[in-house]
Amino acid sequence: MAASKPAFLANMLAPVVVAAIAALLPRFGASSYVQILVYYTAFYLALGQAWNLMSGMTGYVSFAHGALAGIGSYATVMAINAGWPLAAGILAGPIVALLASLIIGATSLRLRGTSFTFTTLFFQALALLIVRKLPATGGPGGLTLEEILPIWLPQLLMIALACAATLVVLFVRNSRNGVRLLAIKGDETAALSLGIASARLKLVIFCASAAIAGAAGAIHGLFTASLYPDVVFSVDISLIALAVPLIGGVATVFGPVLGALFFVGMTELLAVYLPSLHIVAIGVALLIVILFMPGGLLPFIASCLRLRGERPAVVKEVGP
Amino acid sequence: MTLLTTRGLDRRFGGVHAVRGVDLDVSPGEVVGLFGPNGAGKTTLFNLIAGSFRPDSGQVLLQGKDITGLPAWRRARLGIGRTFQVTRPFRDLTTIENLLTGVPRKGSTRSHDADLARTLLAKVGLAERADELAGRLTLGMLKRLEVARVLAIDPTLLLLDEPLAGLTSREATEILDLIVSLKAGIGIVMVEHNVRQSLPVCDRAVVMDAGKIISSGTPEQVRTDPKVVQAYFGEKDD
Repeated sequence: MAASKPAFLANMLAPVVVAAIAALLPRFGASSYVQILVYYTAFYLALGQAWNLMSGMTGYVSFAHGALAGIGSYATVMAINAGWPLAAGILAGPIVALLASLIIGATSLRLRGTSFTFTTLFFQALALLIVRKLPATGGPGGLTLEEILPIWLPQLLMIALACAATLVVLFVRNSRNGVRLLAIKGDETAALSLGIASARLKLVIFCASAAIAGAAGAIHGLFTASLYPDVVFSVDISLIALAVPLIGGVATVFGPVLGALFFVGMTELLAVYLPSLHIVAIGVALLIVILFMPGGLLPFIASCLRLRGERPAVVKEVGP
Repeated sequence: MTLLTTRGLDRRFGGVHAVRGVDLDVSPGEVVGLFGPNGAGKTTLFNLIAGSFRPDSGQVLLQGKDITGLPAWRRARLGIGRTFQVTRPFRDLTTIENLLTGVPRKGSTRSHDADLARTLLAKVGLAERADELAGRLTLGMLKRLEVARVLAIDPTLLLLDEPLAGLTSREATEILDLIVSLKAGIGIVMVEHNVRQSLPVCDRAVVMDAGKIISSGTPEQVRTDPKVVQAYFGEKDD
């Protein structure tokens, strides 16, 4: 709805080209440090786009995306350790995360605003508690991937996933259902009065979003090869999923790309120059972005350059 | 066949009996004005018909079909369209996107829907503003946008909640002309406080007070009904 056909095609091509360049970096002699940074940028971008798809488009703020990624990590590592073929093991991650989102969604998506947000936060804590208690998940000691995989595999897969997630957001944003999701975010009562089946639409988009988060978790499980519940289900991951689009531009297609680059770049710089204070500095930097660029970096830059296309979408944490 | 029928609609909010046993009939091609002082239960009745609230008792029938248990979005898909007392545009969407949020008509294509949306925007005088964010429109434009938005879902029954509120006299006249132009084939129920300007366009007027219908008939009959005069102005001293 937002872009003309040539602009839409250019928008579709851009993530593919960037992903191809990122994937070919090792061939151009990029150091392993740069490759790791690219990996984390792709990981945070995939998570951020997953959050953007659900919370950015509907205004229902989720704190469960870290847990959904964690569920994806555990499902994949457990499946591969159980002898499943690699492809099936990787697919197990998003599928189990999707099933978990059905449970969260069916129980919480009828709630609006902060009630929904707190339910997802509760789910995040519950997931950690369950994983720590279950012997099958290794308890508090966690799990280790028994098969040794080449490091380029999760790197390539994560770049491909980040690209695919960006394309999914692009397609949804330019569809009639994308407009309906934004209508739900704007005023759900008015949306219902126009025949929009908001409960169903929110559940579908939450499941799609969970599948992306689960896939990101599955690939990250292959990358780290060791899963510790306190790390995997740390609320930090949910906060990163939220921070990336918030910094870059909520409900925009390319805002999270900028958000992920900014987040990874800033984290690295501050870890070098302010090693003892870098977490505080990141928090302050986030506050500055949120306070002075409420639509995010991309809409701010676009408005400075008087560009159209990527329209600011004001963040609405609560429903009507 | 009667388009809308309500039978014995009743709704309480705690100790407040907002709507008491309301029976209302609306036929296709008819404009029914729903009047009454503040707190008479007009908007609650709208919400019961549109499905935003469930009645404690009573029935809502659309073309003879009982829709009492259906949620608001299902009723909208059956052809009940409504506007709101305080306009509720999707401010972060463009004017034309506001019209494309609704359920597509059967067999329509994306380009056909976009053409239809532009036609409707032209009909309400907003063609020039199609690509502007709705949040930037004036109140008068937002009122017209809401009417266009609800027309995009192809309603058979239109519920207009105070369409003239906050408008200048000229804007109010434009909206009323629009309402008259729409009534062929669809039923319109209009809640309005601006009785002087809106009554002439009504085929029938219904007056509510304290949750009940106290008068119903032609605009002239209702205007001179002593119960209506009493509800608006109170008892005479002498």
